[in-house]
Amino acid sequence: MFNTALTWNDLAFLAQGAGMTLAVTAVAVTAGTLLGILFGVIRFQLGPYWAAPLTLLLDVFRSVPLLIQLVLGSAFQSIVKLGWGAFTTSGVVLSLYTAAFCAEIVRGGISSVPVTTRRAARSLGMTWWQDMRYIVAPLATRVSLPSWIGLTLGVMKDSALVLWLGLVELLRASQILVTRLQEPLFILLICGAIYFLLSFPVARFGGYLEKRWSPND
Amino acid sequence: MFNYTFHWNQALRALPQMLDGAVVTLQVAVLSMVIGVACAIALTVFRLSGSRILGGIATTWVEVARNTPALFQIYMAHFGLGNFGIHLSPYTALLVGIAFNNAGYLAENFRGALKAIPDTQARAGRSLGMTSLQAFRLIVLPQMLRVAFLPATNQMVWAILMTSLGVTVGMNTDLAGITQELNARSFRTFEFFALAAVIYYLIAKAVTLAARAFAWRMFRY
Amino acid sequence: MKTSILAFGLVAATALTSPAHADKLDDIIASGTLRCAVVLDFPPMGSRDENNEPIGFDVDYCNDLAKALGVTAEIVETPFPERIPALMSGRVDVGVASTSDTLERAKTVGMTVPYFAFEMAVTANEKSGIKSFEDMKGKVVGATAGTYEAIALENQVKAWGEGEFRPYQTQADVFLALSQGQLDATVSTSTVAQSNVKGGKFPGISVVDKAPFDIDYVALFTNREEYGFINYLNLFVNQQVRTGRYAELYEKWVGGEAPSLAVNGVYR
Repeated sequence: MFNTALTWNDLAFLAQGAGMTLAVTAVAVTAGTLLGILFGVIRFQLGPYWAAPLTLLLDVFRSVPLLIQLVLGSAFQSIVKLGWGAFTTSGVVLSLYTAAFCAEIVRGGISSVPVTTRRAARSLGMTWWQDMRYIVAPLATRVSLPSWIGLTLGVMKDSALVLWLGLVELLRASQILVTRLQEPLFILLICGAIYFLLSFPVARFGGYLEKRWSPND
Repeated sequence: MFNYTFHWNQALRALPQMLDGAVVTLQVAVLSMVIGVACAIALTVFRLSGSRILGGIATTWVEVARNTPALFQIYMAHFGLGNFGIHLSPYTALLVGIAFNNAGYLAENFRGALKAIPDTQARAGRSLGMTSLQAFRLIVLPQMLRVAFLPATNQMVWAILMTSLGVTVGMNTDLAGITQELNARSFRTFEFFALAAVIYYLIAKAVTLAARAFAWRMFRY
Repeated sequence: MKTSILAFGLVAATALTSPAHADKLDDIIASGTLRCAVVLDFPPMGSRDENNEPIGFDVDYCNDLAKALGVTAEIVETPFPERIPALMSGRVDVGVASTSDTLERAKTVGMTVPYFAFEMAVTANEKSGIKSFEDMKGKVVGATAGTYEAIALENQVKAWGEGEFRPYQTQADVFLALSQGQLDATVSTSTVAQSNVKGGKFPGISVVDKAPFDIDYVALFTNREEYGFINYLNLFVNQQVRTGRYAELYEKWVGGEAPSLAVNGVYR
């Protein structure tokens, strides 16, 4: 098993792939989180009836396989001739996908802040914005952070699908090496190990935060 | 602005074929959930057993399932096992991959659900003369499944979405596989995949609503 | 008076609605780069060398085309399913991607005259005992999804009424599955089959027979409405053959007598 034709060059190629995975994830999570906070606040403020169209739209992103979304996104941008590269297309689709889940987390976080606390803030003369900024944001972040970490890891794993659009990320890089070296098991195991190393420590950290911050524990 | 003429009638003519695929999709998802729940219960028992080996197996399973991409797991089930001469058909590989993933996530759900059940109940069961397995099966398990039901519904939706990955291991009978084949023949990507997206959405909604109705009938006090 | 206003209005309207429009050929020459969609897991047409750089017949062909246009070539790796979206979105200018010129596809993209022709060969796993095309009856066979040979093979399996057909998304996965014994046999272009078997990377497989399918002509493709560019490409394909460059590239990547690109008894 260890007399492999895998060279340092190839490992660097895998590392490049992992870099691409992280880059796509970073873009998607950053943009997705900002959008998600926006959508989440809008949904909370408008209430279930007025926000229904937004809720429905976000629900679509959570109920259609990401692979289909990526292919559709790519086909759509090609029809309206946006001329996006594979990276941009993947980034946009993954961001919307992330935002749909993030909005849900944000809404949950905001509704976890007791109404009485917020009323107290407003009766101290705080504006809505101050109340959001100094009361709701810190409390909601605490509640939402573990799920948000889970979401980030989920997006990193789901980002493997962008190989369909021709981006050479970690899994695609492994497949290319498998094609050339014909050592499927060994290379796939390395690929899996890299994913695991990227994801596991962060997942553990999330679990720790959840335990530490969960109320009455 | 754009010079692309949609050929919707071409896609609509393929609708019956795609609906056949949707049935296969649903079938894989349901089977993977049944297997996944069974494995997850076993993993939960392993974790509670106190045996280091069994506990280690359970922990490894759960962590690998949760920390690597589902696409990787399915690819591994087909080409990784193929390396050992274990040949799973695309259908089986997809099923095994998704069931493995489901079991990992469900076992974690079950662990959370277990926390909601006081230890004293199992102890009360034991003092009534039940064996520890009986206490688990008759007292803890039913409550655990009830608490874990809604998170499990989410996992079911995930399972439906994951079936679309079968297309990477040569699956051509499920919704994604059929859609991709139609697309490869005609290059009408947008039309076919848009139709597929609608069907996936409807399946996911139908499953969620059915699960809610089921929970409402079963679990109301 | 009135008519002159009307005439002026008409002229203005035409001027506004149809501005002097540079077509794709102009755009490519102006931009100085030709972006080709090439499939890189399809040796010897497209693959990667040990530095993971793109090489192959299609890669050289794209470079030749760029040279003819007086621009630099840019190889854009595109998996089979992404060829058309890449073109439609303007991410690439032309597909040099071993694309079969089916009538179904020509409804969506513009195809040139054939620039390459594939014969089909049966490659089998030696353990399967398959010695000829007919032996595949009742066995598990596979091919790259959506390709000419995949469609023909799937129809054949249906006609036989037994056995199983599996489409994989890449040619590499087909041969991986074949060498692992997941597939008993595959039908692929004979160039691909030779290249994979000769490469020695897959133990236990060999080319056993020719498949009795029609010759698979593959074309360069670009947007359906870009007649100017399609014209240029047609002439380019013709020139490649006339100058002997086609035979030269064939010798370099495949070896042997280069197949004729002309169909007997009909014009195109």
